[in-house]
Amino acid sequence: MISRDTTSKEATDMSTAGGPSEQKDAKDEAPDTSAIGVREGEGHAIQVKGLKAFYGKQEAIRGVDIVFPPNEVTAIIGPSGCGKSTMVRCINRMHEEIPGAHAEGSVTLDDLDVYGAGVDVTSVRRLIGMVFQKPNPFPTMSIFDNVAAGLKLTGTKSENLRETVHRSLRAVGLWGEVKNRLNEPGMGLSGGQQQRLCIARTIAVEPEVILMDEPCSALDPVATLKVEELIDELKERYTIVIVTHNMQQAARVSNTTVFMLDGELVEHAPTQEIFTRPKDERTERYVTGKFG
Amino acid sequence: MQETRHSFREALKQLEVQALGGLDLVITALDRALEAVSYQDVELAGMVVADDDLIDGRYLEVHQGILSLLALQTPVATDLRIVAALLHVIRCIERMGDQCVNIAKLVPLSGYESPKDKDILDAIERMGQLARSQLSQAKEAFASRNVGLAQDLVRQDTEINRLNREIFRRAVEIGDDVDTREWAMFMILVARCLERVGDNTVDIAEQVVFVVTGLFREFADASHPA
Repeated sequence: MISRDTTSKEATDMSTAGGPSEQKDAKDEAPDTSAIGVREGEGHAIQVKGLKAFYGKQEAIRGVDIVFPPNEVTAIIGPSGCGKSTMVRCINRMHEEIPGAHAEGSVTLDDLDVYGAGVDVTSVRRLIGMVFQKPNPFPTMSIFDNVAAGLKLTGTKSENLRETVHRSLRAVGLWGEVKNRLNEPGMGLSGGQQQRLCIARTIAVEPEVILMDEPCSALDPVATLKVEELIDELKERYTIVIVTHNMQQAARVSNTTVFMLDGELVEHAPTQEIFTRPKDERTERYVTGKFG
Repeated sequence: MQETRHSFREALKQLEVQALGGLDLVITALDRALEAVSYQDVELAGMVVADDDLIDGRYLEVHQGILSLLALQTPVATDLRIVAALLHVIRCIERMGDQCVNIAKLVPLSGYESPKDKDILDAIERMGQLARSQLSQAKEAFASRNVGLAQDLVRQDTEINRLNREIFRRAVEIGDDVDTREWAMFMILVARCLERVGDNTVDIAEQVVFVVTGLFREFADASHPA
């Protein structure tokens, strides 16, 4: 079982150094998570087997098998209603938060059965963080507190808290823009900055996997490119799954791409193949816009 | 689900028609260049040189059209392969136009009343017919995405290559007469131009296979002959 105690220990052990490169060092000092089945010091894969997801009686995911490889970006594309957002929400058990919704099948992070009996859902969501479509900083909180919010829940000591917040802001390239106004409201930032703030909040608690559900759909092109560059940097340390409606974004940021249709996985292949010579006719028709 | 991107699809289709139409321009140039060689028609040869601007213009139009489609429509999958193939095809067309010009420019140099060798002239004529046939077949193979027809071009091109070597051998053995030898040297150059035209049609055929399968494979590798 995943316990919150594990998280607290990890947070208190964090390095006081700053910057993205130091963050990796800090990660090396993270506590032993092997006891709960998450291997330490290596990439972390998500394996999905026979996943079905329901909204009441409606089957939104119809038995999907897929492996999200460690330290790679996997993009999920497909028309609206194909089940791509539902799939990522099943990975960190957010799907079950919707009244009447439930999932079947198995999701494992390394050897940790995410849906295993007695597994602590909060800890699952710390290990598998999520960034949403619309930037959602806590409206009453300062920039600092927005990043610190997750850490405070885990009981991180104040001196480590400050260093971790600074380091997370540096990692998302926001430090230079906000270092002189950390106590100002997070809502005062631009949309792109808010989204990077939310990513900083996600990585502050040292997840192993980051799920992104259309993270740039509310951003302008420049902010979008900044987030895309950030994704490219973050994959060095995290396994990333991104749902996107923007096929060019999928092409730019991902190593492999998944095409979903009507709750089924149609094709999963290296991104270059999906966009140059997809094997399945349905993928071809979707990416070329022959249907939409 | 409904079909989308109608204007893009139409633009891509038009671009392909425009590019493949360049092959018709090459066929016209080749016919005239060969007629000019056969009848020593310097005036007709001059027209081939002048009309090469049409082929060069077609190259620029298609090239610009491809750039626009890439920049504005970001084609992917089969559409991307077609665009990439058309870029290659239009380059081949431009090069084949230049080969026709090269043939035409040899006409006034080879002399008005020079002695001729029937074997060489027959072989040149046969090469010309084959090159013309290959141009038509390359166009049809691309337009119909016919891999079998594309691969058949290799068989035809083997005959062009054989005739090219035959003309070279015949020219070497043609005798001691200076004028005849000089004429034969010009015919070697004409044969070489026709061989290049044939080779370019095979390049187009390879693009047909790429468009259909997504895989690029050289039919014949000059550096590693079978």
